[in-house]
Order: sequence, then C-alpha cells, then structure tokens
Amino acid sequence: MAETTILSIVDVTKRFGGLFAVNDLSLDIHEGEAVGLMGPNGAGKTTLISVISGQYKPEIGAVIFQGHDISGLPPHRICRLGIARTYQIPHPFINLTTRQNIAVAAMYGKGIGKTAAAAEADKILDIVELTDKKDVRAKDLEALTLKRLELARALATDPKLLLIDEVAAGLTEVEIPNFLNILKRIRSMNITYIMIEHVLKVMLEAVDRVTVIDYGIKIAEGTPQEVMEDEKVIKAYLG
Amino acid sequence: MKVNPHRFKEFIVIAVVVAVLAVLPVLGLPRTWLLYIFLFFIYLALANMWNLLSGYCGLISLCQPAFIGLGGYTLVIFTWNGLPLYMGILGGAIVAAIFTMLISSAVFRLRGIYFAIGTLVVPEALRVVFFIWRPVGEQIHGKGAGYMIKGLNDVSMTHIYWLAIFIGIVSIVIMRLTLSSKMGMGLAAIRDNDSAASSSGINIFKLKLFAFVISAFITAIAGSIFYMFQGYIAPESGFSMKWTMTMILATVIGGISTEEGPIIGTVIIVFLHFLLARYAGISLIIQGILLIIIMLLAPQGIMGFARKTKIYQSLLRLTAGDSI
Ligand SMILES: Nc1ncnc2c1ncn2[C@@H]1O[C@H](COP(=O)(O)OP(=O)(O)OP(=O)(O)O)[C@@H](O)[C@H]1O
Ligand SMILES: [Mg+2]
Repeated sequence: MAETTILSIVDVTKRFGGLFAVNDLSLDIHEGEAVGLMGPNGAGKTTLISVISGQYKPEIGAVIFQGHDISGLPPHRICRLGIARTYQIPHPFINLTTRQNIAVAAMYGKGIGKTAAAAEADKILDIVELTDKKDVRAKDLEALTLKRLELARALATDPKLLLIDEVAAGLTEVEIPNFLNILKRIRSMNITYIMIEHVLKVMLEAVDRVTVIDYGIKIAEGTPQEVMEDEKVIKAYLG
Repeated sequence: MKVNPHRFKEFIVIAVVVAVLAVLPVLGLPRTWLLYIFLFFIYLALANMWNLLSGYCGLISLCQPAFIGLGGYTLVIFTWNGLPLYMGILGGAIVAAIFTMLISSAVFRLRGIYFAIGTLVVPEALRVVFFIWRPVGEQIHGKGAGYMIKGLNDVSMTHIYWLAIFIGIVSIVIMRLTLSSKMGMGLAAIRDNDSAASSSGINIFKLKLFAFVISAFITAIAGSIFYMFQGYIAPESGFSMKWTMTMILATVIGGISTEEGPIIGTVIIVFLHFLLARYAGISLIIQGILLIIIMLLAPQGIMGFARKTKIYQSLLRLTAGDSI
C-alpha cells in the first residue's frame, strides 16, 4: 500500500529564551493515520502542536503540509488549508452558545454562510454528542463539556488533519468508551489526527503508533505496546 | 427570508418616528428645536460608529475626529473646485476609508490601551497638517484660518436636517446588519478568544480593518453633514477631541456593547447640551461627572442596567428568536 505523507515536520526547533521546547524534531504523518504524542510534563508536546497550527513559527526547520511549506503562515490560513487544533486548556467563545461556537468555526473555517454553518453545527453537535447542550452559553458549561466543545469547534472547520491536545484528561473510567466512540467517528470521516494523551487506555485503543518526546527531542517511536515497554520511555516518565 | 413579527413592529415604530421628525421643519418648529434633533442624529451616527469599534471589536478608537475632519475638508476641497456637494460628501467618506487602511497596519500592532493612545495622536497630527496646509484657495497670512463650504446657496436647512436623519438611521441599520451577519459572529468570537478565533479560520486583522473602514466611512459622512450645517470648518473644530468626548459619553452612558445604548445615551447627551447650553464653560465638567456616576452605579450603562431588570428580560424572551 502506497502511503501518502500528509504532514512532514522537518528538523523543527522552537525555543523560549534559552529553553529548547522543541529541539530538532522530525516526524512524518501519513494520510489516514492516527498518531499519538506522548511525553512527560513540559516535554514540548503542546508547543509542537502550536508550531504546526501556526501559533508559533519554527525558528529552524519547516512544516510541510500536503507538499506545501506552511511554516510561518498565520493560524487562520493554516486552518483554512485543513489543519485544526484543540487547546489543552479550553478556549471557548464564552458568550456564545455551544451551537454558535461551532457555527462560527464552520463559517470561517469552511468559508460558508450563516445558514449552512447552522446546519453544519447541528451535524457536529451530533458527532460529539453535545446536542442537549446546544443552547447553553459556553461560560455555563462544565470543564469536561468544554473539552468536547474544543473537539467540536476544530471539527467544524472541516480539517484533513486534526491536532488533539489532551481532550480525554479528566474523563472517568465510565466516560472513556464514549470518548473512544467519538474518535472512531472522526476516523471514519477520513480525518488524520495527532493526539496528545496521558490516558493510556485511550492511547492503546485510538492510535496506530506513538511518538514519545522528552525535552523537545524524540526518544521513542512505535506501536503503543512497544513504546510502553521502551526503557528510555519508562525512565523519562519516572524522572 | 422569514419576517420576524417583532422586528416588523419595531420597524413600523421607527418609520413613524422618523416620518414625524422629518416633517417637523415643514410644520414650522422653532429652529433651536430642529438644531437639537439635527445634533441628535449626527451624534447618534458618531456614537454608533464608535460603539462598533470599542464595544464590538475591542478597538478603543480615539481617532474618530480624524474622519470627521477629513470628511469636512474633503467637502471643502471638492466644493471649492466646483464639484457637487454630494460628490464631496462621498469623496470625504472614501478619503477617510483609505486613510484608515493606511494607518491600520501601524495602529493594529497596538493592543488595548496602547491602541487608544496610538490613535489619539492621529487627529492631532492632522490638525497640525491642516493648520499649515491650505489645499485650495489663496495663501493668506494667519494660516490655519478655516474654510467656508461653497455651493450651499441652494441647499436649505431642512435639506441638511434630512441628511442628518438619514445618516443617523443608516448608522442604526449598519449596526444591525453588521452584528447579525457572519462578520458580527466573527467579531464576537474575536472578542471572546482571539487565539481560538484565529485557529478557527478567522482573519482577525481583516475583520477589524473592515469594521474600522465602515466606522470611518460613516463617521466622515456625519462630519460632512455637520459642517454643511455649520457652513464653515477650521482645523481646531474639525479634528477636536470634543467629538471623541461626545461619542464616548453617549455610548458609555447608554451602554457600550449594546445596540440600544448609543441611542439612549445620545438622547441624554443632547438633552444635557440643551440644559447646559448657557453654561458652555462647565458643560464638559458636568458631563464628565455624570460619566463617572454612571460608571460607578451602572458600569454597563443604562442598557446594561436595564438588561438585568425583570421587565427587560421578559421583553427579550418575547422578541428573541431568529439568530443562531
Ligand atoms: N509561551 C511560553 N513561554 C515560555 N515558555 C514556554 C511557553 N510555552 C511553553 N513553555 C515551556 O516550554 C516547555 C514545553 O512546554 P509544553 O507546553 O509544550 O509542554 P507539554 O509537553 O505540552 O507539557 P504538558 O504535558 O504539561 O502539557 C516547558 O518547559 C514550558 O514551560
Ligand atoms: Mg501540553
């Protein structure tokens, strides 16, 4: 099977002052893949996502999406090219309702009008199972619902590549299967995703392979099982 | 398109009020009364356009007098060259819009209070330019003397009064259309969370610039109409901070970030001007004190206060319903 590369991260470095948050990192993602990103706190996972989605510009290296160098493009351009992200700490539009939050992302992310966006929002509400909360303002939503809203807003922009930053964190044992179902739905929509996750059960079930980083450097790669048994990974996590 | 019955009622009420106000001069109402109604609609347009920027885009603009002055001076340049008044008004609006695009890349780099300060110097700079530069007519000593606006001979006061009503109503319609459109949703998203907005595909710069251009365009027209009424413009008045004071007072007293706020606030401001007409010297002080009292008692202005009351809430429930 010939695999097409949807995203290439090529020797990317992003520093904050003297700190190398992402350090000469390279990673290829194939179309249709689900890739996990792991690493201890402060490893640089969120920073990598922010570099891909345009919040940060890589100081060295390049991000190639579907053959085009997108490094340095503004976030809204990258979104319209087909990369959407969620935020680890939810970033809702607090004065808008759940449905409006999703609709506005559809309007601008897909470049459609208000009526079409409202219909699109209803579809997404269904996918992430938020229909019962559709008219609640985001400022009145509880933390876990806000995480799902992050996912919904990202999906509304009709991405080819979705970057998910710890959406499952805080879910209880009972809620996890439900979240895995949502991820399955996303995969069946032909969306490639990169997912940062600490919840092992989710990692084991929802990704094809895992990349582990520490101090901004890739320290291991492989299937979830392989990676969990890797000595370097165990050491990084135990400190 | 579905017609909302409440919107329709609202439309009828506004249409009747406007019609009554429009025929007043024909009925021979005293000129001072007409003056206050004229001022109401000019100030209303200015306050609405300031509210669009400050209340809905987070752009605390202090450069609105730049657009007023540019509108007035463009009108002068056009009419002195024998061009029709209406072309002058439109020309002023276009000049103000282009000027906005020119300064936007500089001032949009500034955020919050820095944006306010950055824009504050703009009308001041233009005031100096028009003090030194005489774009038309002969150089006269004692530079900075203002200009008469030509071509006003066959324009009646009633005519200018109608123009003011027109621009006031247009400003209300523009607010309504902008805020209920895709653009209004985009602006609401930017206000709530700009990083999420841009990663959802919203071009923040473009949307804010668009609002800034609309604001400049309408503000310039309102300014031109005001100076048609005055018949004379000078740099000190055209680019004066007093304009900014008036629009801020009207918007904040009425309720910033609300559509009705500037309307209510402008009524109050014009009424104050009427009460304080004989005390021009202390008028601004009294308005300032009023502003402080309002901000202490009802920081969201009269509309913000009213929205919390039960009656308004139930009214809102009755009229809500056609948005997403
Ligand atoms: N805006 C910033 N300014 C300065 N330093 C930053 C900034 N953002 C992140 N860092 C630092 O960069 C490093 C990587 O942070 P990042 O948020 O990418 O880690 P992470 O792997 O997502 O961690 P976590 O699991 O806690 O979410 C950390 O040391 C962090 O303190
Ligand atoms: Mg993180």
